[in-house]
Amino acid sequence: MRRPPLQKNHAYLGIAALLAFLIAIPFFASDYWITLVTLILIFTVYASGWNLFSGLTGYTNFGLAWFIGVSGYISSLLIADHSFSWLFAWPIGAVLTSIASIGVGYILLRIKGVYFAISMVALTEGTRELFGTEYLTAITHGGKGVPFVAGIKLSSLYWAILLLATLTLLICYKITSSKFGLRLLAIREDELAAETLGIRTTRDKIIAFALSAFLVGLAGAIHFTYQNYIDPSFAFSIHLTLTPIVMTLFGGVGTVFGPVIGATLFTFIHEILWAELSLLYMSVFGAILMVLILFFPQGLLGWMKEREILPRIRKI
Amino acid sequence: MSTKEPILRIEGVVKKFGEVLALDHCSFDVKPGSITGLIGPNGAGKTTLFNIITGVLQPDQGHIYFGGEEITGKKPYEIARKGVGRTYQIIRIFPKMTLLENLIVVGKGRERKVIEKAMDLLHLVKLSEKRDDYASDLSFGQQKLLSLAQVLMLDAQLILLDEPAAGINPTLQNELMALVHRLNEQGKTFIIVEHDMKVILGHCENVIALNYGQKIAEGSCSEIERDENLLEHYFGR
Amino acid sequence: MLNFLEILIRGLMLGSVYALVGMGLTLVWGVVGIVNIAHGEFVMLGAYFAFWAFSLLHLNPLLSVLLSIPVFFSLGVGIHKKITERLVKEHELSALILTFGMSILIWNLAQFFWTNTYRSVSYLTGNFPLMGLVFAKSKTVSFGLAVGITAGLFLFLKYSKWGKAIRATSQNPEVALVCGINTMKMRMFTYGMGIALAGAAGTIISLQWVIFPQMGASYISKAFAIVVLGGLGNIHGALAGGLIIGILEAMVTQYLSAKMAQIIPSATILLILLLKPTGLFKK
Repeated sequence: MRRPPLQKNHAYLGIAALLAFLIAIPFFASDYWITLVTLILIFTVYASGWNLFSGLTGYTNFGLAWFIGVSGYISSLLIADHSFSWLFAWPIGAVLTSIASIGVGYILLRIKGVYFAISMVALTEGTRELFGTEYLTAITHGGKGVPFVAGIKLSSLYWAILLLATLTLLICYKITSSKFGLRLLAIREDELAAETLGIRTTRDKIIAFALSAFLVGLAGAIHFTYQNYIDPSFAFSIHLTLTPIVMTLFGGVGTVFGPVIGATLFTFIHEILWAELSLLYMSVFGAILMVLILFFPQGLLGWMKEREILPRIRKI
Repeated sequence: MSTKEPILRIEGVVKKFGEVLALDHCSFDVKPGSITGLIGPNGAGKTTLFNIITGVLQPDQGHIYFGGEEITGKKPYEIARKGVGRTYQIIRIFPKMTLLENLIVVGKGRERKVIEKAMDLLHLVKLSEKRDDYASDLSFGQQKLLSLAQVLMLDAQLILLDEPAAGINPTLQNELMALVHRLNEQGKTFIIVEHDMKVILGHCENVIALNYGQKIAEGSCSEIERDENLLEHYFGR
Repeated sequence: MLNFLEILIRGLMLGSVYALVGMGLTLVWGVVGIVNIAHGEFVMLGAYFAFWAFSLLHLNPLLSVLLSIPVFFSLGVGIHKKITERLVKEHELSALILTFGMSILIWNLAQFFWTNTYRSVSYLTGNFPLMGLVFAKSKTVSFGLAVGITAGLFLFLKYSKWGKAIRATSQNPEVALVCGINTMKMRMFTYGMGIALAGAAGTIISLQWVIFPQMGASYISKAFAIVVLGGLGNIHGALAGGLIIGILEAMVTQYLSAKMAQIIPSATILLILLLKPTGLFKK
């Protein structure tokens, strides 16, 4: 069922054209549209990053906001209080978050299934409370938050997140079709069997977890620079975990391009709902989540693969 | 008696679950290139022993040596990489992965080599036409064959089969056992847990009988077969 | 200054209500196999049930507590029949995500219809002295109600046919199948009981604290801490876990700060999962 090379070239051409268009956006589009696409790209990284770990290993990370918040806080505080340039603050935030996630993963990834999910929620909630307590006010400014200005133009921020999103997708593409990706899938399917077949499950899980933390953390740092503000309830908000999960579920868990489709669609839905129906906004999200699990668990791309509208390969 | 060093040596292994003694000072050797049957009633400790050999469980006492090297306390993946493979009583393949992926994921080394080898093994177990199907689409017997192919992908020298013949039709059963013999001739060592005494007596050279976690008999098939008392007592014949 | 004994009693009273919430969660999780993230929302609904019954119908809140049990039982049975039963055979994480969605849906709807206003049922106010200590009337009555419901639950589980079946299943899911128990009916029944416990806890909570649409979040995190402390499906463990969480909360609030007390559930979950993931108590 290999696709003919001509079609493959078409796909590459299409992607190149799309990229060229995205790179050009700041030259002709209004700030509103640049902002919208920036958000799509941020959430693309969140969703793909979640999918890279949870979609492949089956360990549901209910603490994505922990990656976002920790990295967001580190980078925001570096910019606000220590006059770092965003160019250094972002990667420092992401790298430190990734290193911290190795520690967290080493400890929490031995906990399986629902317990892992809950322990990540507990970690996120606990960290949020901790960042808001009076004991850490000297560092975190407590619950009242940190406003700051990073002095980066919107167009530069846009290109930065475009680069990150492109890299993230490339990494996801490479991994899902690699032996490493298959090993992660094997962990999802049957961890014990994988281990007795010689797969170093703990190491592989931690690598995927830390990689996810790095990518998501970097996007988180960019996100809060874009917002010019951070506070504990915003940084560790359940929305930041939930929305990428909904996006991924819609597009197709474990697929490469599902999260992008989900992120694009749901950012638009967010725009419309927030304006028209802000009070019931979360209800709609909750209801969509339920409907997806009940009637559409394989997601859009999964469904298309099942119907053989798309070839059943892991590279899509 | 062969003078060759045993490929597997179990030495005084004890395993307790709470107050229950699952294995009680169990000791035996397995010769390289042999097919050994492991028999005993339900709860005799056979599967526990497999779990201990493969590092899934840790023994409370005792030692396990593989190829002369102690493997007690090693992690499952380390033991697997040293060359101990196993299949499970309840099949544990990767259902939502294709057959080919089920094998590639186990392989080590260059991708092209791995794929080649995986295809060879799929041919061997006569599943090559289904290589792009999900493993969950296979019949129970075919899944057992795939599971064996995974172990072969690992280059295991010692292969532990947990009830390979149970629940599959006689044709496939014969096919599977024929494959075991062929692999045995190529030098692979097998330990087989099986309830069906026909399978054990028909295919194994040596038999070890366990009960209440203790080794109660060991010998060639004919010796075990002659031990009417044992058979009657433990297997209700 | 409050003395140690008083804080301990306050913690026990708190804990008795938390235990109700935790026992409901552990029942449903252990027997039905569904992790109900929306459990806290049923506590919230229970609280509003008592509030509206009191302010619109002038129904005595103590009566609401009794009424809430059949009402929320039916609600739970209905929800399980229509929604969660479909997920019993699926991966447990499906239920986790689904009930997460349900949780958001419920609190947001509550917010939409009832607004974010903090409300309370001013029914039993004031204190009374006893043996040199001062007790709030509402808290004492709440404690009595919680103890009563817990006792009723334990009697039910111990002596009724259904209760025995539920206990057997929570200890070993295969037993139920072997004993010819209609597992689907039992799952519905258990789910109903779990929700009834959450609802009843909510009505009790409305007697002593303010209620608002997002209050469920703090109860679900406590309930998870209780389940983890007590061991999955372990009802007695959940009772003990509830009391422990209550006492810890009272102590930390008194000696450190209310803000630090909010970290207790998260910290407990993390610590127990790391040190003793099977919980502190034997079945």
